[in-house]
Amino acid sequence: MEIKFSNIYFAYGENKAPILRDFSLTAKAGDVICIKGASGSGKTTLFKLLLGFEYPTKGKITFNDKELKSTQLTQLRKQSTWLPQDLNLGEGKLKEVFYYPFSFKANEVIRPGEEYVLTTFEALGLNKNIWDEEFKNLSTGQRQRVGLALCHLLSKDIMLLDEPTSALDQRSKERVEKLLFDKEKIIISTSHDPWWLERCTQIVELEPTS
Amino acid sequence: MMEIIDLTWTQLAIGLAILILPAIILRKFKTGLLTKVGVAVVRMILQLLFVGYYLEYLFKYDNPWINVAWIVVMVIVADFSTIDRSDLRRKKSLIISIFAATFIGILIVDFFFLRFVIQLPNILAAQYTIPITGMVLGNCLRSNVIGINDFYYSIDQNLERYRFYLANGAKHNEALFPFFQKALIKAANPTLAAMATIGLVSLPGMMTGQILSGSSPLIAIKYQIMIMLAIFSGTILCVYLAIFFSSKLVFDKNHNLKHGILKK
Repeated sequence: MEIKFSNIYFAYGENKAPILRDFSLTAKAGDVICIKGASGSGKTTLFKLLLGFEYPTKGKITFNDKELKSTQLTQLRKQSTWLPQDLNLGEGKLKEVFYYPFSFKANEVIRPGEEYVLTTFEALGLNKNIWDEEFKNLSTGQRQRVGLALCHLLSKDIMLLDEPTSALDQRSKERVEKLLFDKEKIIISTSHDPWWLERCTQIVELEPTS
Repeated sequence: MMEIIDLTWTQLAIGLAILILPAIILRKFKTGLLTKVGVAVVRMILQLLFVGYYLEYLFKYDNPWINVAWIVVMVIVADFSTIDRSDLRRKKSLIISIFAATFIGILIVDFFFLRFVIQLPNILAAQYTIPITGMVLGNCLRSNVIGINDFYYSIDQNLERYRFYLANGAKHNEALFPFFQKALIKAANPTLAAMATIGLVSLPGMMTGQILSGSSPLIAIKYQIMIMLAIFSGTILCVYLAIFFSSKLVFDKNHNLKHGILKK
């Protein structure tokens, strides 16, 4: 399993200055990559490019040596999980919205039982009571932990994590490490957290755009 | 039954005098709506006069092809009105899909009620086809505006959520499902509320019209029940098809909403 960004250029709009210039990166199973850089340097944009939400102006992204076009992109999306900075699972109680991603055809077989979900919540320092709370009433930290639990339970080969530890305390971070790190997986993350950076196998720094 | 009292043009002109009351209120509160009211009243009168004369002609000749042509014109007008009244732009993909959805929705509902319920010997008889189509279409227009607007606006406002689903393995229809569901609920609500209060809070226009023109209230009620069923089925069908067809055309190959679909 390999993801490769080759000489990527990207700008938001035709006449805008590129925020990514000649960016290259290779990620293989077992890699825990952290992309760091100032706000607006294009960290989250890299996830959007990889997931097909934006198109590079120049350069190529490949997944298992094949260019990331329709079929290959579908394959990548099936094998990946993405935790955005501010998770939004919509309106409803957590127990109602949490299972929606498990109803997708690609994820049906890995639907966990409620007890296992709640054990994972506890492992991440979440109180079981939040299961009955409205998702929109959860704090940023709680939503982030719920997202991390979701990423773990979706059990995908590729994890794309946007600032995964920004709202976590030390104990929760250690639990995240235990739950998510896996030699079979590719983890690509963005973070400024020194604790997280220490645990990454590769750190890529993006230059601020001038 | 009382005889029908035909209104003279003078009587109708007297009716216009009632507008003085809302005009005074709207002026007192500086709502800036007076010009709008003037334009709306003039438009309503001209449009209805045109339709009145046109319907006289349609009823006189009662030609199925002319009737169908009239339905097509009504659907085209409804199509553009839906887009203009919503937050969407006049894109070819939207114009085509909303037209197809409305036309198919209307055809199914019309065919069912005219053929199997009223059991017309001539299915395209102007006297039945045109008013029923008009009633259903007017409501489809309102529901389409609510449904389609909500669908695309919600996706735009909750783009991270929509992308989150795609990035976690959802097929396109799976990622759209929650937005589709919410849009259908919103579009169905006004008709559901109208059905729940009909007769108690309000007497519907069609029934009132029938009673005023000499029908017995029982006949009018039977027609009103039929028309409510037609309106509800027609609106849900049209909104479903409009979202379904347009969603095939306004997303790119990676399921991103194409630029320039929403006015903003």
